[in-house]
Amino acid sequence: MKIVVTIKLVPNPNAEKRIDPQTKRLVRTGVETVLNPYDEYALEAALQLKERAGGDATVTIFSMAPDSLKEGLRRALAMGADDAVVLSDEALEGSDVSATAFAMAAALKTLKFDLLVVGGLTDDSSTGAVPGALAEHLGLPCITNARKVEIKGDAIEVERETDSGYQMVHGPLPALLTTALTFGEPRYASLKGIMGAKKKSIASISLQDLSLDHPVGTSGSKTELRSFAPPPVRGKGQVVEASDGLSGAQAIFDFLAVKRLV
Amino acid sequence: MKNVLVYAEHRRGETRKVTFELASEAGKIAAALGGKAHAVVVGPGSAQLAEQLKNYPLDTIFVNEDADVEAFLLDPIVDYLEAAARIAGPSLILIPNTLSGRDVAGRLMVRLDAGMVADVVEVKPDSGAVVCVSPKLGGALITQCALRTADYGVVTVRPNAFAVESGGAGAHVEQIAMPGPKSYPAAIDRDVEEGAGELALEEAPVVVAGGRGLGGPEPFETLLKPLARALGGAVGASRAAADAGWVPYNLQIGQTGKTVTPALYIAVGISGAIQHKVGMRASGTIVAINKDAASPIGEFSDLLVVGDAFRIVPELTKLIETAKGNLS
Repeated sequence: MKIVVTIKLVPNPNAEKRIDPQTKRLVRTGVETVLNPYDEYALEAALQLKERAGGDATVTIFSMAPDSLKEGLRRALAMGADDAVVLSDEALEGSDVSATAFAMAAALKTLKFDLLVVGGLTDDSSTGAVPGALAEHLGLPCITNARKVEIKGDAIEVERETDSGYQMVHGPLPALLTTALTFGEPRYASLKGIMGAKKKSIASISLQDLSLDHPVGTSGSKTELRSFAPPPVRGKGQVVEASDGLSGAQAIFDFLAVKRLV
Repeated sequence: MKNVLVYAEHRRGETRKVTFELASEAGKIAAALGGKAHAVVVGPGSAQLAEQLKNYPLDTIFVNEDADVEAFLLDPIVDYLEAAARIAGPSLILIPNTLSGRDVAGRLMVRLDAGMVADVVEVKPDSGAVVCVSPKLGGALITQCALRTADYGVVTVRPNAFAVESGGAGAHVEQIAMPGPKSYPAAIDRDVEEGAGELALEEAPVVVAGGRGLGGPEPFETLLKPLARALGGAVGASRAAADAGWVPYNLQIGQTGKTVTPALYIAVGISGAIQHKVGMRASGTIVAINKDAASPIGEFSDLLVVGDAFRIVPELTKLIETAKGNLS
């Protein structure tokens, strides 16, 4: 079984993001690039499925990223993925979600797989639209938010979380899968994994390797970013020291009453 | 795009507030664009929801009680939305930013070769464009993205972003033809509802959230639930509480969890790490109860009460219940 996992490299979600008031751009200094957290969960799921399948099952990472960032994928290889393919091209810069999904799909068509595992959201742009868009471009069943997966021959059985409960779903392979966080915490890379990852292949492909019938990058985008700004500053509010339960409760109650919230 | 189309997500005719928020706003946007607002309601229970939607400023409500909508995973819904969009012509399609809404949106974007903006909190028609306001990078940036009116536009809308305002000229309900013949690869074998009747966290007007400071699962039941009930709100949690297994992950607020924007957010025993902040920073009023005066949550709370939550919360619940009792 061949599994492909898509991974996006994003600014560390746990770092406070700041916009430079002069340049109006995100301050990248001191903010490291990491694997998109949802994609780590997708990778964990893929690795578990690989282990269960045994034999010659493989996990390949696919990422669309600038060439300068691709070494960031070593971490995914250290966790246990077998190899990585990166779509890098300067012409991709400025791609919006539709152009991004189009380019990713074109590259994924060149990889043969039984299962495509995609993170449910990205931490930076968080459109959540890429899984559905990829499924549509690739003509795959789109089974999202899976918490349990069984591969049975050329079929997949999934227990997936919904907004109000869960569903049991089945479909044929190849399929696209996104995973819920309850599938399992992403594993830590072992020392052996980290050493082994240094020897694993990160292949690069460019737009020249794909014959696209549609522009990408800014000119292939359907949306235009007009402006961006930090949100209104939320100042530090009142601080009240409560000596006992009632005085603390009264302070909150009075505060809410003034704001007509109680 | 002149017309606006609303995807009315529902389960057997039962829907959430966001559907009415979208229907209310669709009428306003369509009026500004000089077009019409429609809704698409498909699957068992559609007729019932269509009746409710007649109270909103919509022109046509497309319905079909097609049982396949319940039998297959989203494929029929995407087909119906595409069909309705083709009838309406280049239009703005409003989809709730929910788990299945996001799946539908990505697929529809490709089907219609549409522009797409996610997690939108405001829509502003502008000459030749529709400008969508949306927070990015966990709310660190507020972006304004323009969709071209010549294209289809697909937007996912954040719950609680638009006000519910009923009133309309009495939309007419129209049967939409079953798209076909289509094959649906992903079949639903079983659909189980859990926690029915509980207020959806994203839509709650008040959220009472607990964190590591609560020390275990019991205080969520004994402290937070009564306070949330008194305030007509829902209980949420920080990642620390969800990771510890004190509450299910669907209550987790923040990065890798839910984003909420209630009028009132009460954080109990939550330190306020960035990964929690991104999920609640856009709330109306933020009140924190924490034993540590230096905890980061104080930096973005409107009120921080430094004290013992185990003593303060029950007293606060009592005060609110008493006040409510006096009114009724």
